[in-house]
Amino acid sequence: MADRETARERILEAACDLIAAEGIDDVRIARVAMRARASTALVHHYFSTREELLEQAILHSFETVGEERFAETGGEAPTATAALAEAIEECLPRPGHLERDWVLWVELWLRAAREPGLRPLAATLYARYHEWLEEVLRRGIDAGEFTAPDDVPALTDRTMALLDGLGLRALLRDPTMDIDAARAQVADFLAPQLGIDPKELATSVTKM
Amino acid sequence: MTPRPSIDHIRRPQILAAAAEVIAERGVAGTRIADVAERCGVSPPTLLYWFDSKEQLLAEALIADDDRFYEELEQRLGGAATAAGRMVALIDTATESADDFALWMELWTWALRDAGLRAARERFDARWRAAIEAIVADGVAAGEFDNTDPPRTALAIAALIDGLSAQAALGDPEVSNARVRETVLAGAESLLRAELPASAGAGGPASP
Repeated sequence: MADRETARERILEAACDLIAAEGIDDVRIARVAMRARASTALVHHYFSTREELLEQAILHSFETVGEERFAETGGEAPTATAALAEAIEECLPRPGHLERDWVLWVELWLRAAREPGLRPLAATLYARYHEWLEEVLRRGIDAGEFTAPDDVPALTDRTMALLDGLGLRALLRDPTMDIDAARAQVADFLAPQLGIDPKELATSVTKM
Repeated sequence: MTPRPSIDHIRRPQILAAAAEVIAERGVAGTRIADVAERCGVSPPTLLYWFDSKEQLLAEALIADDDRFYEELEQRLGGAATAAGRMVALIDTATESADDFALWMELWTWALRDAGLRAARERFDARWRAAIEAIVADGVAAGEFDNTDPPRTALAIAALIDGLSAQAALGDPEVSNARVRETVLAGAESLLRAELPASAGAGGPASP
């Protein structure tokens, strides 16, 4: 049983790597199998169609990387401001694992824009992201560290949009801005609305 | 060297419109030159005479789409008397034309891996941000907006629109456009430190 679990995960990891490297449309089952050191028959055993494999791979990426990140973020931060700074950091495409995660996120946008069948998955992931970020904001409001904005869910939406729009450009190596600029922009946007110092929010907290 | 037949000046927009349709449906990877040729009723060799590759078709289809967008934008900006009104008109125009979002998503994902499309994205983005920046700068000069950095604010507004369009493309199409508009407007108000009118034409009190 444990072996089977491992093979399935290996296949999903291989699929994530290939989606990130080559794009979701170019991923072929045979290449996923080769990369996972599995047979195509084994891939088909776990995933009856290519679509199912790709969907499960994206879900896998967000569940492992995402949940680890969402669960841990800010837990040990001394202040809500530090926790929020950390959360902002977790939402930007830093090179390494987060960057692969980000490419998958963009691939999911693309795919879901074309295929309504994928939208519930995307909506679920967005809802989870929203819930997590809103929680970070509420922590500071409840502690009296942030002044309460009029509408916390709406501010969460705007912050997510800004993070996504800026993160996308950083991911694409936009020549006019990078991750540091994105972080500073988000801090300057949020800080006045929460009554805190943007400098504290823009402090890079690279733990990982 | 034979001159290109003049009839192709008529065909070109038709080819690009067909390319936009097919690519939005199937993605660049799933699109064959023959599919586009069939959709617009030309032979594949004719199409290949004008366009070398699917990537080029995507880029050119986006240029045509973009030009239409700016034509409409210019018209709508002309109807607003103030910079705040023009900002609302810009946000309206950008958030209403969500149909072609799949095409722009193609650009973003292909720009991750294709240098030519990455450069194309930078050109589109520069034009778009300049259009936003011009309105911000007008508003600052007129004392309508309290803002010290129009280029940076233009980037943030562009990022907000992209991030929200992605959220909308993944959500319920019935409610998303209105929500995107409302959320971008609220975000823009924070960034501009100004109140925006309820509609682009409203120069004074709302008429009944």
